[in-house]
Amino acid sequence: MSYAYLFKYIIIGDTGVGKSCLLLQFTDKRFQPVHDLTIGVEFGARMITIDGKQIKLQIWDTAGQEAFRSITRSYYRGAAGALLVYDITRRETFNHLTTWLEDARQHSNSNMVIMLIGNKSDLESRREVKKEEGEAFAREHGLVFMETSARTAANVEEAFINTAKEIYEKIQEGVFDINNEANGIKIGTVSTPTNPSIGSNLPGGQSSNSCC
Amino acid sequence: MFNRLKNRVLTSIVPDIPSITPSPSYSIGRPLPDKFQYQRPPFLQLLTPDELKASADHNVRPIIVPRDVGIMPFSCGYAECVNSGKSEWNEDQAAFSMNVLHHPSKDFPDLPYVYFGIFDGHAGYGAALAASLQFHHILHEKLVDIIELLLPTNVNETPPMFPLMFHKTVSKDELIIGALESSFYDMDAVLAEDRTKYRNAGGCTSVVTLFILGKMYVANAGDSRAILSQRLSKEMIKMQNDKPYPNGTKCDSDDYQVIATPFSFDHTPDTERGRILSLGKVHPDLMGGEYLAMEYAKKPMTKDLGTRILYKTGNMKGWTYKTLTKEDLKMPIVTGEGKRSRLLGTIGVTRGFGDHDLRALGSGLLIKPFLSCHPEIVYRDLSLIISLPDDNNIDGEYGILIMGTDGLWDVLENETVARITFETLKKYPNEKHRYTMVAQELVAKSRGRANDSGHWRLSDLKAPATVDDISVIVIPVYQYYKEFCEWEKKFFEAQQRREALRNNSNNKNSNNKNKQQAMPTATTNGNVSLNKIVENIDDDDEDDEVQEAKEENSEISDEIDKAIEKLNLNDGNSEEPTESTA
Ligand SMILES: Nc1nc2c(ncn2[C@@H]2O[C@H](COP(=O)(O)OP(=O)(O)O)[C@@H](O)[C@H]2O)c(=O)[nH]1
Ligand SMILES: [Mg+2]
Repeated sequence: MSYAYLFKYIIIGDTGVGKSCLLLQFTDKRFQPVHDLTIGVEFGARMITIDGKQIKLQIWDTAGQEAFRSITRSYYRGAAGALLVYDITRRETFNHLTTWLEDARQHSNSNMVIMLIGNKSDLESRREVKKEEGEAFAREHGLVFMETSARTAANVEEAFINTAKEIYEKIQEGVFDINNEANGIKIGTVSTPTNPSIGSNLPGGQSSNSCC
Repeated sequence: MFNRLKNRVLTSIVPDIPSITPSPSYSIGRPLPDKFQYQRPPFLQLLTPDELKASADHNVRPIIVPRDVGIMPFSCGYAECVNSGKSEWNEDQAAFSMNVLHHPSKDFPDLPYVYFGIFDGHAGYGAALAASLQFHHILHEKLVDIIELLLPTNVNETPPMFPLMFHKTVSKDELIIGALESSFYDMDAVLAEDRTKYRNAGGCTSVVTLFILGKMYVANAGDSRAILSQRLSKEMIKMQNDKPYPNGTKCDSDDYQVIATPFSFDHTPDTERGRILSLGKVHPDLMGGEYLAMEYAKKPMTKDLGTRILYKTGNMKGWTYKTLTKEDLKMPIVTGEGKRSRLLGTIGVTRGFGDHDLRALGSGLLIKPFLSCHPEIVYRDLSLIISLPDDNNIDGEYGILIMGTDGLWDVLENETVARITFETLKKYPNEKHRYTMVAQELVAKSRGRANDSGHWRLSDLKAPATVDDISVIVIPVYQYYKEFCEWEKKFFEAQQRREALRNNSNNKNSNNKNKQQAMPTATTNGNVSLNKIVENIDDDDEDDEVQEAKEENSEISDEIDKAIEKLNLNDGNSEEPTESTA
């Protein structure tokens, strides 16, 4: 399938907040209660439509543990959007947001759109972080905010799509240098029968090396 | 732009090779298809094109590790990372295979073995991909071929008689080494054959480790590398005083030293100068009158014509004088030094698979005759390793085998790799994915970080990191050895039970017993013992006799087999024993 733009996202936040579940809910529309611990990085992708344009989201789901922090840092580079996730039932994941945000701001390009997500909104009875606290944090740091549930899918679509809308607006405003792929945005290739987008067209190695 | 240029220097083959002379099928019809579509090693489970694309992000160079450590043999570690843009896809590949060899006599447990391979591709991903998907099948066939020689088939034969006496003395090691060597030849031949049907696959290096019968065999062709990282107590090092370890580096405490032992040797035009110059000297036709099989102490210049110059040729170890003539102004067959050396001015690696159609820059001469697919093999008998009880250092004593492509070794010394290995293991003492963490750390260290202008630098942000693809396998050797010891125990138990049963059965049937004594060289399962094989080589007529022996013996063997089946000694193998060919 062809797309007008490809946006690269990174999902960050403490381990266990539901990053991998959010990705799975968004890409596969399902919830997997027991998810393997993410080691390193995993990828997901989905096509969405904004303003009548097909936009492909390529999402990098990272490992949250401290041990992976320095490797995760190297992935901010080249992301146009970040979902910063905490767990509304675990106060410490909210407390760590400042560290995450500092990391993200320091290692990403300054235009990266950051969406703050309070996940597990279905667990109202175990809530430790009030919605207002999330809102306040977002306001203070200039982030977009949303509470989601990877389990019930509440607001999951919106979280990913609203982030894309912000990025799209920034492109329209000319804020992003879309010709530099390191900014996490790629202009799509127009699909023709001889040039379908990646997948049906995994090119041969020899041709990539020999000059023509 | 600058980065582009530099990449070209660093890559093992100059990337802009002039288009390879098209074969007829290539130029007339449509381009030939890929034999295998691009993919990453299956154990990474990067299944969709989107995931493949994301994993090959040249700006970010994500470090990919297996999602599920559980599918890796011995929880071994693996990590990889794509190049910074010199080729669209990651041209490294890796593979492992855990398999068993069925014992010819079904009453014995199958012999397990484990294989790991790393392949660094150039001029395309095809050869490395083919090797990663096919090599283990070839190797398996070779091992199946020799299983009867590796294990005893006769109960009277404990321990197995080794070395084997054919006309020549043959040891088990030589059989396994031969299986590896011939697998290398066959893999290269497969790539040669595929040229007419599929798109040119390019070439690749190959380093392969086989764990079998309690030993570790490392076979290498090319400039990928394997080292054994060990962490030994000073006490232990003293015990092995005859073998001093000059390369030891200090570890976490003064009581231990970390040691890196090479298990392979890089094959570059520089390290293989002797082989290549000899070949050129004996077969000057291969150089098409364009190159010289000479090495000069000083670059020959026109202005020096007629003066004397020091040179080497063929396999010479030392230098000698000659008078410089116009002939000496031609290009030497090997140029440059070390990692930057080039064969026929084109390629920086001199062994591996493929490259059947690779031609030299400028001259267009075929390079393949100078390349070799012959592996050098280093092996270690793990039963000889001394381990101190209760010192909680089993990984240190048996060692961690690190296999990696040159992306790793170009920027990290063997000793540094060994040190990082044990530092990382110490950080993760119990985690199941601790070996993955080692692999990830090694890739992270050699990839480094991109600075503000997008150049990859080591952690100090000064020295250049590698821009090449990087792949690393981290194998805890003891984990294999432990499994082998369990197998060995089962094997000897099966052997003893079988012997006991046979004695019982012989007592019951004295008639059979007599036959048995008359035919001491035929085994219970109709297989022919080694003595018989030796005789057969001398006299083909004996075949009939052996056949008779087999038939007469099948009665007894049937009875025994039934009894064994009843007792369920054969480890779940309830099928009828099949006749195996002697
Ligand atoms: N009730 C509830 N549980 C969730 C939700 N999202 C994730 N979880 C659970 O939280 C745990 C951690 O999720 P995971 O996606 O692996 O977290 P990650 O480490 O951030 O990737 C898992 O047991 C999930 O089942 C949610 O929205 N609601
Ligand atoms: Mg996760």
